Amino acid sequence: MSEAEAVPLRYDEFLEAALSRIGGLLKGHYGISRRAVGLLLLQGDPQMEREVKKRDAASYSLLQEIVSQARAHYNQPLSYVIALRRQQEARRLVSAVVTLRGKRRPGFAEWLSRAMMHPVSGSLILLLVLYFGLYQFVGVFGAGVVVDFIEGTVFGEWVNPWVTELVRGFIPFQVLQDLFVGDYGVITLGLSYAFAIILPIVATFFLVFSIIEDSGYLPRLAMLIDRVFKAIGLSGRAVIPMVLGFGCDTMATIVTRTQETRRERIITTLLLALAIPCSAQLGVIFAILSGSGMALLIWAVTVALVLLLVGYLASKVIPGERASFYMEVPPLRLPKLTNILAKTYSRLQWYFVEVLPLFILASVLLWLGDLSGLFGLVIGGLEPLVKFIGLPPETAVVFLYGFFRRDFGAAGLYDLHSAGALMGVPLVVAAVTLTLFIPCIAQLLVMWKERGAKTALAIAAFIFPFAFLIGFVLNLILTRLGVSL
Amino acid sequence: MRLWPRIGRGFGRGGCHGGGVRLGDGRLRKVGVVGSPNVGKSVVFNNLTGAYVTVSNYPGTTVDISRGKAKIDGEEIEIVDTPGMYSLLPISEEERVARLILFQEKPEVVLHVVDAKNLERMLPLTLQLIEAGLPVMLDLNMMDEAEAAGIEIDVKRLERELGIPVVATVATTGRGMETLRRRLAEYVRSRSCAVAV
Amino acid sequence: MMELEEKAEELLETLWLGTEERNEESLPLENIAEAEKEPLSQLLKAGYIALSDDRVRLTERGRTIARNVVRRHRLAERLLVDVLGTGGMLTHEKACRFEHLLDRGLDESICALLGHPKICPHGKPIPPGKCCQLKRTPARKLVSSLSQLAQGQMGKVAYVYASESGKLQKLMAMGILPGAPITLIQSFPSYVFKVGETQFAVDKEIADSIYVRLVEPEDAGEIIEKELPEPGRKLRWRFGWWPRRK
Repeated sequence: MSEAEAVPLRYDEFLEAALSRIGGLLKGHYGISRRAVGLLLLQGDPQMEREVKKRDAASYSLLQEIVSQARAHYNQPLSYVIALRRQQEARRLVSAVVTLRGKRRPGFAEWLSRAMMHPVSGSLILLLVLYFGLYQFVGVFGAGVVVDFIEGTVFGEWVNPWVTELVRGFIPFQVLQDLFVGDYGVITLGLSYAFAIILPIVATFFLVFSIIEDSGYLPRLAMLIDRVFKAIGLSGRAVIPMVLGFGCDTMATIVTRTQETRRERIITTLLLALAIPCSAQLGVIFAILSGSGMALLIWAVTVALVLLLVGYLASKVIPGERASFYMEVPPLRLPKLTNILAKTYSRLQWYFVEVLPLFILASVLLWLGDLSGLFGLVIGGLEPLVKFIGLPPETAVVFLYGFFRRDFGAAGLYDLHSAGALMGVPLVVAAVTLTLFIPCIAQLLVMWKERGAKTALAIAAFIFPFAFLIGFVLNLILTRLGVSL
Repeated sequence: MRLWPRIGRGFGRGGCHGGGVRLGDGRLRKVGVVGSPNVGKSVVFNNLTGAYVTVSNYPGTTVDISRGKAKIDGEEIEIVDTPGMYSLLPISEEERVARLILFQEKPEVVLHVVDAKNLERMLPLTLQLIEAGLPVMLDLNMMDEAEAAGIEIDVKRLERELGIPVVATVATTGRGMETLRRRLAEYVRSRSCAVAV
Repeated sequence: MMELEEKAEELLETLWLGTEERNEESLPLENIAEAEKEPLSQLLKAGYIALSDDRVRLTERGRTIARNVVRRHRLAERLLVDVLGTGGMLTHEKACRFEHLLDRGLDESICALLGHPKICPHGKPIPPGKCCQLKRTPARKLVSSLSQLAQGQMGKVAYVYASESGKLQKLMAMGILPGAPITLIQSFPSYVFKVGETQFAVDKEIADSIYVRLVEPEDAGEIIEKELPEPGRKLRWRFGWWPRRK
């Protein structure tokens, strides 16, 4: 009572003859039919060639001969000849089972899709998305309203005094008290930064990103931006890691895996490490620079120019195949709330599993460093550098934080700014330098894992002096021009 | 009961001729979910396992392989979600990974998820999977979009033409997923050799 | 320039293929059949070939002429396959006879009509003519690269031209194979097209390698031509070449 047996597709006589000869020679086990092994051999699949060489070593040369004979028989590559036959069969099947009932007229989604891809209206939509999605929602709402509430009210008024009281009551030694509730305490610094500043910003960003992602906007953006990206050695496809980088550069560095060539992966990794601020950093920077539109503009333009310049130079220096761009443009879909929430949640979860231990570790290290005096030494070393780019020496601490986590550094900047220690030109210079400054520990580790030690170290070694150089140049230009912010 | 033919027996596929101790080692029966990028593999996976894997409206998001368990007809089955693949001849790293899972993990059933409105572009992979002797089941997903585009598919006929089970679903809303589960269970059962024990 | 016999042209072609595609600078005289001795002397007299040590080779002038002969031959093949749809029945002889009819000037208009193709149906390169550099676009085209289509224009994939196999694989993955219906949606800043029910965005390099046939061949020689019914489309193409407005 079995149904019709699935019969494999038949190719032309010549190929069939070649396939049956190959099938007769194959003795090894491949986990798939000999016919499929033969077809992959004919199409020149390198992996299958290796397998066959291993498992059917005796007849390998004979097999090779059959394959090259078959290749010589056709004018086109065999993969093409074979694909044509399959396509022909697929077309036959479709004509047998599919009925078309009048096409629907292109609706609003299609109209919006075209508008997103049109160079003029598309750029406009991009600006709107950046302004409302990134600036208003993440910057003003997430990094402003929510952070103020959680940091100022929840932690500042409730948690911190209570915890400090508690710790002081239970732990008798000043040194140990500091580990938890001191200037670099695990709770007062580590946890409060994580929950009060980072969480709201990252959460709002991932929420926006999930909506953008589910709507199908990203491939349209990729299409719009491909030409610009080609100039920096990338293809439009790179928008996905790049945009995700605005959320978390570490996560984005992992996503570079989907890129096609090694060259693209290296350039994207470099640009992510250098010029793409992560959401926490971005949120804090928006918050501290939002007082002056001019300051924000100078910051954005400088970072964008650095991105393009370094990308352009990298594309000239790094060898390899030029990127080509092809991407499916799926229909625009209305994002589903449950999916958005689930996705935001799972990203946040990943982020915190990755981040929280590092936050705590960073706090412990800072505490240890402070205790041993090592910390003071490093800050002492950083101070001349910081002064060199026209910043007050207190900012050295911020750069040290920045290495532990990018957002950590930005959060430090936020504190300095709130305390009134950093204003005007130095604030912009500090923001730019910190944005460009070396990636955080987590990102460095992922770079190491994904790109190898050599590339990761080379990138870090380039970025460190380069960030300060740009800071210096920017400071020079701004002070020479007498810009006051 | 419908018994689906056992295709591609032999060629190192495990098979039942090893004395029938199969699955006695406690290994779960396995279903591999494959298909080209952006056809809703991950949604199908989530629906089957109740787990959550990031789903996006752009191709190429599944970088890692997700594994989950589904309880179908009281039996626990391992479900493996693979990165998108266009054909058995890989051009990208993701495709190589997906192919490796198919060839090495030997799932009891390979569930090929396709975009129903693009059948012509999707079927060549189905044909390749059949060609490779893999136990394929075809899932015509995104049926709602196909219907909106005025495309009507004769599922029974396609089933006959291909000689493999075919189901139609809208994984995002859950439409047809019950049938998919039922047919999957039948297929997995007919494919594995518990009978021989 | 003098009119060459069909046989003489074929001889030039053989010699050109030898130099350009097989790296043989000359041909031994004994390889030339008795029947071809007559055209041989015609070519010698015209100064297109030279004899030395019993071997025949092309002269500088002869090379230019021969290149044109090959160009016309391969264009003729394209014309037969893409426009007249003689797919399976394409023979060398047919193309040869056809090629002889395409004299200079006409080959340029045919080249333009076919969208300045780069390869013949057998995958061999077509030597480019002046028109290919100028990319002159005629009022009417039968085949065009996707990048040269007007927005909204539709047709069917005629063939793809991929210099490396990776690119070919990508095209195949997108379902771009001969016969697939294709519509250009947008051409700036990147190319967006629709094949089947899916839209793709590609760069110019890929758009350049897809050739689209804008007419249905009267005699659909390919077996694969059993198509989905597409209401209204056939009629439109029979009457007009203008891009369909949105």
